[in-house]
Amino acid sequence: MKGIELAAVRDKNVLQLDPRTKVLCLLLMSYVMLTGSLEGKQLYLRILLALIPFVLIMTKRKYSLALGYLCFYLFVLFGDAFVLHRMNGIINLMFVFISAIAGRFLPGIMLGYYVMTTTTVSEFIAGMERMHISQKLIIPVSVMFRYFPTIAEESNAINSAMKMRGIEFGGTNRSITAMLEYRLVPVMMSTVKIGDELSAASLTKGLGGEVKRTNLCKIGFHVQDILILLIVITCFTFHFIW
Amino acid sequence: MNHSTTSKLEVKDLINVGLFSALYIICYFGVSFMGFVPVLMLIVPLVCSIVGGIPFMLFLTKVKKFGMVTIMSVILAIAVMMTGNSWQVIPVSIVMGLAADLIMKSGNYVSKKKALLGYAVFSEWCSGIIVSMFFGFRDKYFASLRSGYGDEYINKLEAITPDWMFYVMVVLAFVGGLIGAVLGTKILKKHFTKAGIV
Repeated sequence: MKGIELAAVRDKNVLQLDPRTKVLCLLLMSYVMLTGSLEGKQLYLRILLALIPFVLIMTKRKYSLALGYLCFYLFVLFGDAFVLHRMNGIINLMFVFISAIAGRFLPGIMLGYYVMTTTTVSEFIAGMERMHISQKLIIPVSVMFRYFPTIAEESNAINSAMKMRGIEFGGTNRSITAMLEYRLVPVMMSTVKIGDELSAASLTKGLGGEVKRTNLCKIGFHVQDILILLIVITCFTFHFIW
Repeated sequence: MNHSTTSKLEVKDLINVGLFSALYIICYFGVSFMGFVPVLMLIVPLVCSIVGGIPFMLFLTKVKKFGMVTIMSVILAIAVMMTGNSWQVIPVSIVMGLAADLIMKSGNYVSKKKALLGYAVFSEWCSGIIVSMFFGFRDKYFASLRSGYGDEYINKLEAITPDWMFYVMVVLAFVGGLIGAVLGTKILKKHFTKAGIV
């Protein structure tokens, strides 16, 4: 994930979606993508749903990313439907690896990327509060999703540090336990630190106070929300009927 | 920061739940990818619980109130649902999380033995994922996988998972939980207690 910025930036010119739309879209889509079959009628649902992240990323003006994703995905999908069953042995296993991951996870990952880069934490919290979800669930979940990119960043740095010390596959110190321990422990250390820092920061933002928080986020359902929800829910329904 | 004595969950606790859930999920899912080799699928619960035990034991040093472990189990269930597992994981995970929480609470969240047992029980949340490969759920599950993973993989997987294997895997998850808890405690002692972090 190096070089891809995952922090949310508010951009007024971009098509705005309600955070609730995004979350529901993500949930339903990954459900259909991951449990659905890769052939037959289900393939059409899959293609239709795969277009959603494509369109959304286009609206973010990341044209090359969106086009690259679409081409790669269609390639994997058709390769999967027509080629996979005609192979066997070790080649089959290898292709299973690639196509099972890409075919099922890629659209979800791309939509996840879109959601992460366009939803600020306060928008997410505002949306969830409108749905009357308990703070006890909203806070951990929003912290968790913000923490994933941080872990990726930290472990990149830790990885290169460990490479210098030769703790890697094919390095001078090849013991599996050392590889695990020397990568996990630093991340755990920073988790503890970040926990302390975040709770101090959250105090200044007024989280956890007795009074109800207000916020400036303008959220609400518009035409684009209804359109996208309609597509996703139809696909979800057909997923069960077919 | 002053240590409050209320039993209500504060934002600080909720933030820790979020952070450690992220860490646990990454450890767990990272390891579970070895399930792409059919035979290794059988020991996925064992190895995942062992590796997951390391961050979990650190998490427990932050847990002083009832509810934190339960919330974590709810979050895990939601995360796992999103990555395409069937609904059975939701009730199973919540029940296991609640049970683990109760066990640890009975030791006032300081007892080492209760923490050990608590994590072993907590590790059983994955039986909610495993169960979809067995019993009545079996045929539907494998049918949905067949087209994506290829016949070769599914046939091998079917051959090595007769119904009694479910109980073996559940026991393995429990054993993995115990080993993971011991390992986690050791790592805590080696790295964190010495550095004064916990």
